[in-house]
Amino acid sequence: MKTLIGLTVANFKSFTRDRAALFWTFFFPVMFVLLFGVLFSGSGDSKVSVGWVDLDGTRASAGVRDAFNKVPLLKFQTGSLEDQKAAMQRGDVSAVIVIPKGLQDALVGVKTGQKRSTSIELYTDPSKTQTTQVVQGAVAQVLNGMNLALAGGSEAIAVNTLTLTSTNISTVAYLVPSILAMALMQLGIFAAVPLVQQREKGILKRMGATPLERWKLVASNILLRLVIAALDTVLIIGVGMAVFHIQIVGNVLQAAGFVFLGAGAFLSLGFMLASFLKTEEQATGVVQVVQMPLMFLSGIFFPFDFMPEFLRGVARLLPLTYLGDGLRQSMVNATQVAPIALDAVVLAGWLVVCLAISARTFRWE
Amino acid sequence: MTQSGAPVIRVTDLKKHYGDVKAVDGVSFEVARGEVFGMLGPNGAGKTTTIEVLEGLRPPDSGNVEVLGLDVCTHPQSIKQRIGVQLQSVSLYPRLTVTELIDLFGSFFQHHLPTKQLIDAFDLGERAKAYSMNLSGGQQQRLSIALALVNDPELVFLDEPTTGLDPQARRSLWDLVKGLQEQGKSVMLTTHYMEEAAELCNRVAIMDHGRILEMGTVPELIGRRFKERAVFFDTTPKLPAQRLGKLGGVTRAAQEDGQTVLYSNDVPDTIGGLLAMADELSAEPRNLGIRQATLEDVFLDLTGRALRD
Repeated sequence: MKTLIGLTVANFKSFTRDRAALFWTFFFPVMFVLLFGVLFSGSGDSKVSVGWVDLDGTRASAGVRDAFNKVPLLKFQTGSLEDQKAAMQRGDVSAVIVIPKGLQDALVGVKTGQKRSTSIELYTDPSKTQTTQVVQGAVAQVLNGMNLALAGGSEAIAVNTLTLTSTNISTVAYLVPSILAMALMQLGIFAAVPLVQQREKGILKRMGATPLERWKLVASNILLRLVIAALDTVLIIGVGMAVFHIQIVGNVLQAAGFVFLGAGAFLSLGFMLASFLKTEEQATGVVQVVQMPLMFLSGIFFPFDFMPEFLRGVARLLPLTYLGDGLRQSMVNATQVAPIALDAVVLAGWLVVCLAISARTFRWE
Repeated sequence: MTQSGAPVIRVTDLKKHYGDVKAVDGVSFEVARGEVFGMLGPNGAGKTTTIEVLEGLRPPDSGNVEVLGLDVCTHPQSIKQRIGVQLQSVSLYPRLTVTELIDLFGSFFQHHLPTKQLIDAFDLGERAKAYSMNLSGGQQQRLSIALALVNDPELVFLDEPTTGLDPQARRSLWDLVKGLQEQGKSVMLTTHYMEEAAELCNRVAIMDHGRILEMGTVPELIGRRFKERAVFFDTTPKLPAQRLGKLGGVTRAAQEDGQTVLYSNDVPDTIGGLLAMADELSAEPRNLGIRQATLEDVFLDLTGRALRD
């Protein structure tokens, strides 16, 4: 036991004296939290600007505008069609709503039984999926309310509630567990690099010439990484809570379980990589090649539902998807990609399989 | 120095092959307690493989290998407690200090020497707080040997301990090895420096292509092949080889590193003849000298090539 602790302390000292390792383990994820936090919490004005073109200019069109003004997510600027289209080209507004000439006549027609319906034109930018959805949703809500009122014979146009909510808080809350998942993934996979380095330099062989048992060498590596995983977790959540006021509302024990299970699964993946790699240069390269697709295909930075169908299939194969999902469900009660038990089982499966493969193939020199 | 009692190493017909490569191909030798035993040979001769089998780092393919009276295959842990190991060109944890490394390695053993004592003995006091990666080559090598001695071992293995060191660092390491022997420790070392083997070793085994070609004390090895002394000078075409071979006292003529070497059992006769011949042909034998045959000559004679090729 004394040997194991001594070795782990030595490994920990080596780790903390390596600036590159410190950067990737602690600074990089914190930077991610800060960067995404600032991007998505958009300090202050987060309303979507919409251009308003009124070709009718009647009491009816003013009434419609009043209804739209009550939508909290939108703010309007009025102008000619040409001006507003140009503003949309420049990116000053995200959409343009055009009230057609003859709106009032049409409404009167509907009321008097002459069915002359008309339509409002909505210009959107297909490249801005998120804002487009917000605007479309708002327009649909408003018009539904108006149509309903008209059909019911009432003149009152009332919009009371909108189910679209601001995404500010929940985006950061979604991202913090995701970034934690990313950090744990990197922590585990990057463990391959010092291992390959120690083998290449003959350090592992030198240890083999002492009475130190090999299992202690492996155990100290695992212990070291779990300690770092715990520190990383505290740091990332701490920054999220301190800077962006996210709240951990889920099950803390369950979250801690996922932290260690995830660290374990990716650590055994790191061990497995170290079994197949020979030089430090190889290891540094391959580790990047493995972590990049994991990072971007696992739906940790954008909700699963935003992915095209075939990418979702890919994501369902990747362990990081399940770690992210497990952590989000445990920490912020996010909607699930998979049942929480399945998340745990998939991670445990990766852990066992990778560990078994490395146990068979790992070379000490 | 006592050379009594059971040998500390006993190797019988050791074989270790890697695929078709016969790294060690039937090697047998013994090392007595208190002895410094050297294994001499070029790179790839099988020295390191042999020593790593003895250290318990590689299992032998066949043969019997006993270290300190124990079989390496069945008692690796007990052996490792009692031997000291310095591997060829190994770097250590780069970001641990000298003190931390000695502490760490000490913790692997049941019994170990105080760290301070080792730091003083190896003159590492000024660098005690330096990371191992910032040490000079000679300091790293001293640390590496200090780590080999951390458990106060009975038998120390040194694999090419002075390769890559400057002459001064090499000399200071030789003193360390002699000190080990004075403490009653047995040492097995490999080297490809002849003068190192001659300076340090009680007995030497010359190894090439996985086999031991010759074994004995340095004077024995030389005396077995060379009763003569060597007359040498820079080779010049003005002095034809066939006439040199017929000079008085010459038993054999050889070419070595741009020099002509005449092995002679009557040096005055040979030199007289050589100078007369040079005078007659208006040639001058430059850098003329006389020496005893060396291990280098033995190796050349055994293998037909120089050791450092």
